[in-house]
Amino acid sequence: MRAHATISLVSLLLLAAPASAQTATPRRAVPATQAIAAGKTLFDSQCAWCHGAGGDGGTGPNLHGRLRHATDYASIVDIVTNGIPGTEMPSFRTPLTARHIGQIASYVQSLGRTRGAAIAGNAEHGAALYRTNGCATCHTIAGAGGVLGPELTTIGATRGGPYLRDAIVKPAAAHPPGYLVVRAVDRDGREVRGIRVNEDVFWIQLRDAGGNVHVLEKARLATVERQLDASLMPSYAARVTGTDLDDLVAYLASLRGVK
Amino acid sequence: MTAHVRTAAKGCVTAALVVASLSLAAQQQRGEWPMYSGNYQSERYSPLAQITTSNVSKLRPAWVYQPPGAGSLETTPLVVNGVMYATAGPTAVQAIDIRSGRTLWEWTRPIPASVLNLGFPRVNRGVAYADGLIYVGTLDGYLVALDAKGGIERWMVHVGENPLGHSITAAPLVVDNKVIVGVSGGEAGIRGFLDAYDAKSGKPIWRFWTIPSPGEPGSESWPGDSWVHGGGATWLTGSYDPALKLLYWGTGNPGPDWNGDSRVGDNLYTSSIVAIDIETGKAKWHFQHTPHDVHDWDSNQIPVLVDAEINGRPRKLVVQANRNAFFYVLDRQTGEFLLGAPYAKQTWAKGLDEKGRPIVIPNMEPSEKGTLVYPSLQGSTNWASPSYSPDTGLLYVPVREMGSIYFKTPAEYRAGTYYTGGSEKRLDEESWGAVRAIDVKTGKTAWDFALPSPSWAGVLSTAGGLVFSGSNEGNFYALDAKSGKALWQFQTGGAIRSGPMSFEFDGKQYVAVAGGHALFVFALDQP
Repeated sequence: MRAHATISLVSLLLLAAPASAQTATPRRAVPATQAIAAGKTLFDSQCAWCHGAGGDGGTGPNLHGRLRHATDYASIVDIVTNGIPGTEMPSFRTPLTARHIGQIASYVQSLGRTRGAAIAGNAEHGAALYRTNGCATCHTIAGAGGVLGPELTTIGATRGGPYLRDAIVKPAAAHPPGYLVVRAVDRDGREVRGIRVNEDVFWIQLRDAGGNVHVLEKARLATVERQLDASLMPSYAARVTGTDLDDLVAYLASLRGVK
Repeated sequence: MTAHVRTAAKGCVTAALVVASLSLAAQQQRGEWPMYSGNYQSERYSPLAQITTSNVSKLRPAWVYQPPGAGSLETTPLVVNGVMYATAGPTAVQAIDIRSGRTLWEWTRPIPASVLNLGFPRVNRGVAYADGLIYVGTLDGYLVALDAKGGIERWMVHVGENPLGHSITAAPLVVDNKVIVGVSGGEAGIRGFLDAYDAKSGKPIWRFWTIPSPGEPGSESWPGDSWVHGGGATWLTGSYDPALKLLYWGTGNPGPDWNGDSRVGDNLYTSSIVAIDIETGKAKWHFQHTPHDVHDWDSNQIPVLVDAEINGRPRKLVVQANRNAFFYVLDRQTGEFLLGAPYAKQTWAKGLDEKGRPIVIPNMEPSEKGTLVYPSLQGSTNWASPSYSPDTGLLYVPVREMGSIYFKTPAEYRAGTYYTGGSEKRLDEESWGAVRAIDVKTGKTAWDFALPSPSWAGVLSTAGGLVFSGSNEGNFYALDAKSGKALWQFQTGGAIRSGPMSFEFDGKQYVAVAGGHALFVFALDQP
């Protein structure tokens, strides 16, 4: 863990971080605006993939406003350096130097002071749409609902608005890790299609749309087809449209769990 | 393999003396597994034939060994004089009784959390043995000789500076009273080297620098002072030809890994095989698979020494399935390129020219926006050992079919930190793996056994007509070496990231493999 400690300390010394540079006199101080601009360039290349352009959110959370896991510059540096265990946020210790992580942290910190692209929509009406469209058949919020799809209790804290919108209208394109659809056909032509629960060299476990788990021995299968562009969730593009879609996205974005 | 020697080897001192005089090759004939890859050719082939295609379905666990406090195991144990020598991370060695599966001694080097491991996990992959001593490299950059009977330290020598990123995870190789050991650190901007130490005393004998200094041949491939942090780590065990007295060792990526702007040129001798004279430590020849590598395609994969007829002429060969997706056959006396062909999906080269140099497709280097390239930075194969069976003439390769989006970032050297200049976004979902059987005379795939994900498991072939390997999903399995048909499997419950081995003890053939946090040892109930 020495590497970690060194990285954080060096970053603090070298950077004129807006919130924390008042004590040390940095010898090679970079003006904050310059660090933020450099950080934006790095962010667009390394982070926007998940956090969206400008940090507006995507597969990863929106970084505007108050951050769930980081309270200050040092904790942002720590998260970018080490990742967040138990989440999809990886460590960037390998690709990025301490200086560049510091620049990204300066940029992310600057996002915290802005609102970013607002999520339009009426969350309360979105909650009603969630109920009337039967979403709870497959999804759970705060303990209530089905198990076929991902739990949504904290979905607003882990996914950005654009991703949530895509997940409703184009679920096949946005299926999260762990929800791969596989079609298996045995030698007699019997077919099972479902979410891959598990797989090893010789066995595969699928959960079908009815929630039943099928344990299949591969030696007895004629076909095992991984459907990378499929989802068991139907598209709601035709059923939830216009401002209703905005409202449903706003409701999902508001689900941030209980602190 | 005589019954007499086997009986004597059961554990008395006289047996140890008898065995010490045997050559390593004879040891393997007797059913031992005396070095990391089984023999100097690195075939990872066992001449034992008690377990066969017809009885392998009756293979059962004999015992399971769980080293205390260990993380994931990547060890290939040795078996010498009736004792198994295994390792666990960060740096521990266990001597294990084969009948009972119980510890005879354990040696652990304290490794504080502050010890660096830049670019690889805190693991150890195995030991070397010669004349009553066990040799092990440490995560903090030392080479240690232990008494094989009691686990007592006999000597210790400082090989590399861990605060600069040097570590040792690979098993050393002992040749003619010399312990050969390489270092990791290719992601930390080290200047790579391979060392030889006196096996009795630990006294340094020679050092081969994988990056030439200014004025030396090859230095023209490094602009300015870029050679100083040029990489070329030697982080996996190599091979040896006793007749030619040449070591064959793979070298790692140049530094920084993914941003080649500061090191325009071929960057010799990175991503190469180097043939090194065992006496002088000087290179006799080199062959660079990936000139000016910008995808982290080390050439450290185990080079396998094979004697075979190529174009009607018997040749001494060194063959390698390289991380860059090409399979190479070289003359191991001269380094002459004889054959090369892709063995896995790749999108970076049109092919190889007549000298074996890749014909690179433009704009495949990492970029700020990301560049999709096959294979991924972990390559089409990685450190997991291949196996060559002289019975089939096939090289069995653990294959990784995966692409990545490669990113380039600015690189800055700071001692003891990553010096990489980029990263990747792996295409996990569409990836898969295989054990692939490659005909060494043609480079063509003879058969393919598919795995759900890119393999990290080594391969063992045996005279029983079998190929053993593992999966990330915990399966340890046996295939028919001729057809690739699955004949047996056991679910170990943890990812297999190690190389299987086989040995004989008390008239019984065993197969061992580390899976997850445990070492599994299998045998037939009634051979």
